[in-house]
Amino acid sequence: MVWDWKSGEASAAPYIDRAKADFAKKHPDVTVEFVAQPFDQYYTLLGAAIQSGKGPDVILFNGGGQIRDRVDALAPLDEYLAEDKQRLAGWDAFTKDGRIYAGPVTLQGHPIYYNKALYESAGLDPASPATTWSEFVADCAAIARAGAKCFALGNKEGVGIQFWLSSLASGVLTAQEYDDWIAGKRDWSSPNVKRVFQLWQEAGEAGLNNDGANSTAMFNDSFALFQSGKAAHVIGLMSDVGHWKDFNEFLTADKLGVMDAPVVTAGTTPSLPYDGGIGYGVARWTKDPKVAADLVRSLTSTDALKAFYAEAGAIAADTTIDVSQGGPAVATIVSEIKGGKPALHVALSSKTLDLMGRLSQQLLGGSVTVDEVVKQLAASDQAG
Amino acid sequence: MPIGNVQPSVRPAQAGRTDGAVARSSVRRGGARSRRTGGGVWSERLAPLVLVAPAVLIIVVLRLYPLLLGVNFSFTGDGARNGMAVGLDNYRELFEDPLFRTALGNVGLLVLLLPVAVAIPGLLATFIYLRVPGHRLYRGVYFFPAVLSPVIVGAIFNLLLAFDGPLNAVLGSVGVSPVDWLGDPDLAMFIVVGVHIWATFGMALVVFLAGFATLDSALLDAARVDGASLPQVIWHVIIPSLTRTIQFVFVTTMIGMLTSMFGLLFVMTSGGPEGSTYLPEYYIWIQQGQMNRPALASAASTVLFVIMLVVGLLQINLLRRAGKEA
Repeated sequence: MVWDWKSGEASAAPYIDRAKADFAKKHPDVTVEFVAQPFDQYYTLLGAAIQSGKGPDVILFNGGGQIRDRVDALAPLDEYLAEDKQRLAGWDAFTKDGRIYAGPVTLQGHPIYYNKALYESAGLDPASPATTWSEFVADCAAIARAGAKCFALGNKEGVGIQFWLSSLASGVLTAQEYDDWIAGKRDWSSPNVKRVFQLWQEAGEAGLNNDGANSTAMFNDSFALFQSGKAAHVIGLMSDVGHWKDFNEFLTADKLGVMDAPVVTAGTTPSLPYDGGIGYGVARWTKDPKVAADLVRSLTSTDALKAFYAEAGAIAADTTIDVSQGGPAVATIVSEIKGGKPALHVALSSKTLDLMGRLSQQLLGGSVTVDEVVKQLAASDQAG
Repeated sequence: MPIGNVQPSVRPAQAGRTDGAVARSSVRRGGARSRRTGGGVWSERLAPLVLVAPAVLIIVVLRLYPLLLGVNFSFTGDGARNGMAVGLDNYRELFEDPLFRTALGNVGLLVLLLPVAVAIPGLLATFIYLRVPGHRLYRGVYFFPAVLSPVIVGAIFNLLLAFDGPLNAVLGSVGVSPVDWLGDPDLAMFIVVGVHIWATFGMALVVFLAGFATLDSALLDAARVDGASLPQVIWHVIIPSLTRTIQFVFVTTMIGMLTSMFGLLFVMTSGGPEGSTYLPEYYIWIQQGQMNRPALASAASTVLFVIMLVVGLLQINLLRRAGKEA
């Protein structure tokens, strides 16, 4: 039995069908049942299943904290998935202590999207967006004169800061700091880490964001602001929602651009932050982990993932899929996957992310200082 | 033998016959008892136990036992310490967590706002009872929000209260600068409570109207003849006559506020901004569902249970005392 929150959606049906067919070829005698759970209760229900020690054999997970917090309930898959390691990208998000716990299906990352039409009306060149922070702020001033906000920001859920941190960090942190962060050696008192939060605060104070960011839901009010041309940039997603396919529909494919993070600290090289978005893992209690792992392999086969990309608009974990039909934005994203790095926020625990969300709202509201924020986050990060 | 006491005063002519019937029936009953000695007494004693057994079993198996399991679970650890006894660690962590303290503080705020939540339907019911123009229309309109699900209500008010929403547009047209209703940590909780009151006062209004139905209109007329003003009528006639209704509404409103705000919070603020609209329920849900801390969530549930128990007992006490007075 498989638990997920995807198989109930019409756009995921061709994907599931192909994966099932692939699996049936290998194990004709095993029947697979997909049970779609509502996403807002998914981890609550899964928590109950884990407590009782029985439930689905194959489980869909979000990469990062959600799966790492629950590896006790999962079987390591290194030996079964070894053949796929080259073909698929995004393994890090499903790895803990050097062991792989799920096969990546999609990649999730945080490109900075921009509206080329707004750039034109603000008198900026849509083909060459700003590459440094000071240029970027100057562009924002031009965009403001044209009557639009610079960023569409939804921080009601406290998610806005996660996207901010991950998407801008490659232009702020040095490569060494970045890699250390992912490796778990996070120096919260470093001036560059502080700088990320200062930029967040300054952007709020300078009015770069839409009004009422703390009461604007990211999903999907902030994306709606971007789509309707009220803001020129949005830090979006690569897969599922708030991504190139959604934006293409409203802004048309040739008006949607993807830009690199502006360089804040001289000498840094911006890179696309991405991780494995969702992936299938195998429960520890399953009777035959080999069969279950084969199902995971079918669910991550090139054929199945191609269907997922085409129908659901996800950037699939399989980098061999041809995306040239999707427009310039998606082509830019896929071309940057090779040089991309894991997103910073994915390395943090759910608890620290929750705290960071609340602190980010305080920063925008002006009731806390950056020093206090990094102090509290450091304490939470070290405890968890 | 109640019949014997009531009937004679009304119909004295039949008194004798009634008494006779009572006497006969008591004789018959005595006879039956004497025949059913031994096993009969036992079955009579057992019958009530058998009859309440299903209810008791359901409560014990489906309520009390899980409750005990939950309390027991709250003394174990999460994650790496799963299943291990950790004593009071979870409770210590709870009370050190500023977020949980905020949640408890908000429960206190709800209790403080309770009189407002009771006064609004009370006042509106008074106006309807006093037949203000259009009272028939208002009676229907006021009840309408009570049939909407909290999720719908939350979604409606999210739109209305958005920073670029209609309410701020109206304020803007009269020169008031826009307010971030749901994004200001000092305001948001009051807004959510206000919306909750708006969504639920219809029920309390109906209860008040039912209370008014029992009000002696002669008293009102007398007060009017004596030249009492409206506030005086409300204060000296209506409120004293409706004490029991008011107390009932207090109890049900309190329970409603403590147990059914989750939907609104979830839709309107997600506990934010800055965690200012957390309630224990929401905290429990976050810990269990998002943070994967079921044991900590159990501890929070236990604390919430104790709070509800204390509030409930206080209210039963209050009702009982009110009953005696009336």
